[in-house]
Amino acid sequence: MKPSILIERHALAGLLRERTIALIAGLFALLVLASAYLGWSATITVDGIYASAVAWFEQNGQVAPPNPVTQGSPLALLRNLTIYISLVGAFSAIVIGHRMVEADRRAGVLPLIGTRPLDRLDYARGKIAALAEGIAGLIGLAAIVGVLTFLILPSIHVRANEWVRLATFFGLGWFYMMTFGLIAIGSSARAQSETAGLLMPAVLWLTLTFVVPALTGNILPTAAINPVSALAPAPQTAIFDWSAALLGPISLAEAYKYLGAELLGYLPAGLPPRGTVPPLVVLILTGAAAFAFALSSCLKLDMTKGGPDA
Amino acid sequence: MSEAKLAITTHNLSCRYGEFTALHPLNLDIPKGEIFGFLGHNGAGKTTTIRLLTTLLEPSSGEAIVAGCDARRNVVQLRRQIGYLPENVRLYDALSTRENLRFFASLSQIDDARERVEEVMDFLQIRDLADRRLGTFSKGMRQRVGLAQAIVHRPSILFLDEPTSGLDPMGVRMLREVIERLNADGMTIFMNTHLLSEVARSCSSIGVLSHGQLVFHDRIEAVSARYGDEAALEELYLSVVPGREDAA
Repeated sequence: MKPSILIERHALAGLLRERTIALIAGLFALLVLASAYLGWSATITVDGIYASAVAWFEQNGQVAPPNPVTQGSPLALLRNLTIYISLVGAFSAIVIGHRMVEADRRAGVLPLIGTRPLDRLDYARGKIAALAEGIAGLIGLAAIVGVLTFLILPSIHVRANEWVRLATFFGLGWFYMMTFGLIAIGSSARAQSETAGLLMPAVLWLTLTFVVPALTGNILPTAAINPVSALAPAPQTAIFDWSAALLGPISLAEAYKYLGAELLGYLPAGLPPRGTVPPLVVLILTGAAAFAFALSSCLKLDMTKGGPDA
Repeated sequence: MSEAKLAITTHNLSCRYGEFTALHPLNLDIPKGEIFGFLGHNGAGKTTTIRLLTTLLEPSSGEAIVAGCDARRNVVQLRRQIGYLPENVRLYDALSTRENLRFFASLSQIDDARERVEEVMDFLQIRDLADRRLGTFSKGMRQRVGLAQAIVHRPSILFLDEPTSGLDPMGVRMLREVIERLNADGMTIFMNTHLLSEVARSCSSIGVLSHGQLVFHDRIEAVSARYGDEAALEELYLSVVPGREDAA
């Protein structure tokens, strides 16, 4: 078996044993279920009101308008997932990424791995692959819940192209979470302490999720936790024009929410993205930079350190 | 001596951390089949030397040939030939002895990893620990499992960094016997130690490092002839290792 595959399998097995990871995966699953329930509940409520309204219209001899549930994209039912992925999903990815290298350092086995006949590149490949699979597991869980929700609801009919959009949405979520996981791998590989290794990506995540969107123009207090207010148009002032132009290209959370809304079909018509750089380009460039950071950090990892005091 | 007969040879091997020189240019030849005792005070540069020879650190200058492989250019090949037991060895606490050993044996890419793990556990008499998790182990038990991971891939050179540190007399004796048996099978042993008694009993040659400089290197017979017993070895050690004030 190739050393990178061994490292990958070993890292995945280690993740499955960790209580913190189990707790975070459980929280993520709970929020995904909450998101599905909120969408399901809203749909059922609107359906019920519509049925009453149709009866009223018929009694008064009027033609009933079409059911609003069937007017928009049925995928919008899962819009809260965009928020949960950018909040708990990204944070889970940070914790998973952090544990990838830190688990070996804390166990004190880096000097033992470092003297085995494997390249640092094998080690980096194994860890990054394990991260990709761990995050795929979380996103896969969200996808299963999402698909089951659509299959259960009677008034929702998802067309073939919408299934493709849904799959793309989960792919986008995986990519977004990977970006944070890779930053966490790189940070923990370079940091001198476990705390610093976790703090750096956590601060970055907080900044990108809560601070930057407010500076680019989304000044609604609920922007970070509500999928609809996340897409509010920026105030038409010179300051926000400038800040959106400057910070738009690094406003990762906004880029993700914009693309997520577009894929799930609840993006307000005519709403432009922040800044001049297209959101997909922002995500791809940041993901590539995060990958390069994680890779170079693992290649430079100090294998002499280890143990709880390291 | 021809390079083919040497297990380890270094030419002006050095290591600096910024302004601090941890190891001054080191020239050392260790023939195959030796038990080499590397003596020195705390901070003398012994661990740095082992880290350089095991490719954990890159030298600032000079070269090291270990088991015929250049420590800069043939890193992966070199690692196939060496085993390493760090001071205060640690393994995965959540895994059992067998799981730990299988992981490290597989990483060493040996074909018969499973069989070899069983063989090594028998050799080190740790079969009773096979299915126990390491989290509950004493220092002596950990050291034996650590030694098992270091030899599981049949290395030709074994690096031991203060292997007797923290062990009780029984543990020390067991370790000495294992080292002698491995050496009898042809394995070269490079051992960092503080204990002059261990050097006197086990080693075939010694080197003394002081403040990053090799101040003495000879075969143990020559040392014994000149200095007689263990007490005299201590005298030798104290005579070649200058005090911190002298070195400053």
